[in-house]
Amino acid sequence: MSQAILDQLKEGVVNYDEEAVITAANEALAQEMDAHSAIFDGLVPGMVEVGRLYEEQEYFVPEMLMCADAMYAGLNILKPHMKKKEGSANGVVVMGVVQGDVHDIGKNIVRMMFDASGFEVHDLGRDVPLDKFVEEQLKTDSNLVCLSAMMTTTMVGMKEIIEKIKEKNPKCKIMIGGAPVTEDIASRWGADGYARDANNALKDAINMISSLKSIS
Amino acid sequence: MHTMTSRERFMAALNGQSVDRLPVISVCQHATYDQMEQLNSAWPDAFHDAKLMAKLASGGQSILGFDAVRVPFCQTHEAEAFGAVLKYGGKLGLPSVDIHPYHIGDTIDFPADFLSKGRIPALLEAIRILKRDVGDQVIVMGGIIGAFSIASLLFGVTDYLKASFKKPSDLVPYIELCERAGTTLAKAMIEAGADVIVVEDMVASMDMISPKIYRTLAWEYEKDQVEALSVPTIIHICGKTDPIIVDIAKTGCAAISVETTVNIPKALENLQSEGLTTPLIGGVDPVKTLFTGQPEDVKYEVRNAIAEGLSMISPGCSVPPATRTANLRAMVDTAKEYQA
Repeated sequence: MSQAILDQLKEGVVNYDEEAVITAANEALAQEMDAHSAIFDGLVPGMVEVGRLYEEQEYFVPEMLMCADAMYAGLNILKPHMKKKEGSANGVVVMGVVQGDVHDIGKNIVRMMFDASGFEVHDLGRDVPLDKFVEEQLKTDSNLVCLSAMMTTTMVGMKEIIEKIKEKNPKCKIMIGGAPVTEDIASRWGADGYARDANNALKDAINMISSLKSIS
Repeated sequence: MHTMTSRERFMAALNGQSVDRLPVISVCQHATYDQMEQLNSAWPDAFHDAKLMAKLASGGQSILGFDAVRVPFCQTHEAEAFGAVLKYGGKLGLPSVDIHPYHIGDTIDFPADFLSKGRIPALLEAIRILKRDVGDQVIVMGGIIGAFSIASLLFGVTDYLKASFKKPSDLVPYIELCERAGTTLAKAMIEAGADVIVVEDMVASMDMISPKIYRTLAWEYEKDQVEALSVPTIIHICGKTDPIIVDIAKTGCAAISVETTVNIPKALENLQSEGLTTPLIGGVDPVKTLFTGQPEDVKYEVRNAIAEGLSMISPGCSVPPATRTANLRAMVDTAKEYQA
């Protein structure tokens, strides 16, 4: 019975069908299904499938955005019912799009995955001054900072942010992402993770969350 | 073969004629802090002041040794003319759209006196200055933004991309309006002396949309624009444009600017099988190679690009402003090794 609901949640996300997700999420609560399980075994696998479809160029960014809307529709219903400790990665993440850049799609997709996993998210938005990342990291003592840039002209600001944060807090993990970012650059600049596009960001965020989960 | 002038070389390459060596240009923005310092013309003043804009752009020839110069540096003139509020990035960065002026569904009128809006008069004046000062030696390129991309700046890209999938017909009137804006600007640039128009349609990238949406909402307007302009048009779209390379060529554009992620031999093969001879421009990765690499890395990429059959050498996208001059010059030095 509950498997059917999980499937509906997953399919609803994949088919960007907000109504179907809302119905399934309410049904999950009505059946007293564990909210954590509904999110992690229903919505999240849906988003993973979306990532696969994106990779195979069956889906593109517009579809991914609509799937994200469907996922949020489910999250809004299920999250208030998640028991405090359970499943929470207890992580704190600071994220934003670097100065001069207003392309926030990838960042928003990653944010959603952090929201889903119970992270405390400090989203600085787009076009964020470089020092703001450093300040916010110190203020929140976050375990993770995610920097995003879509333009070749703006991404280079990331290098400075990484240096400054690592200097003040070497334990903080930093993930960078965006179309012009490469693995080579991420490692040269001292980032701990990298994601080229929304799909990779999604996968990376999931991996990073699970690795942080296993530590905490 | 006699040594060609930059102008001869550029035009011959566009027309598929033989050249003494490949032209080296930068299709997209390539102002750098180095050039700003040497020329004593820096951002943000060079975004507003025609003389400073032209001076900084002239570095493409005087400092980098390219066969063309280009303005502007940013991608916001048309959107600004439609009422988008910009945020400036000080000395270091490009202006970006801070407040998108419209929502999808709004009625938008074409701005009367479009050509006198925002920084457009300064941009046109900069082209006149460049044409006067260096136009007899190098090609003067005027850059506009593709209709599909301007429209995304009017509404914000998230809502815009969702609408492009859900109800593309809702967007058509806006994209038509933006095509008119770009074409109006391009025609004024040509009148001011631009030899070539570059259309950057960055949001029509496969990083953003499917080939299907490209064909429905971007292609036709690129084609209309190319047909409306009296000078050669280069279309630049970021990312892996492999699935639409033939479509882009079918707009009738004079050349296509591609990133290094595009499989060049395959793209040329696909074009050829359709009987198209559209030249491809590119070969150098602006971030990995130009910004973080060494002149040796640049040489390696340029040699490879020549071997693969590109018709002009250019960074594949906008050049990060902190890029060192030595790396940009290495593009020209390497092309010169092949001088006939």
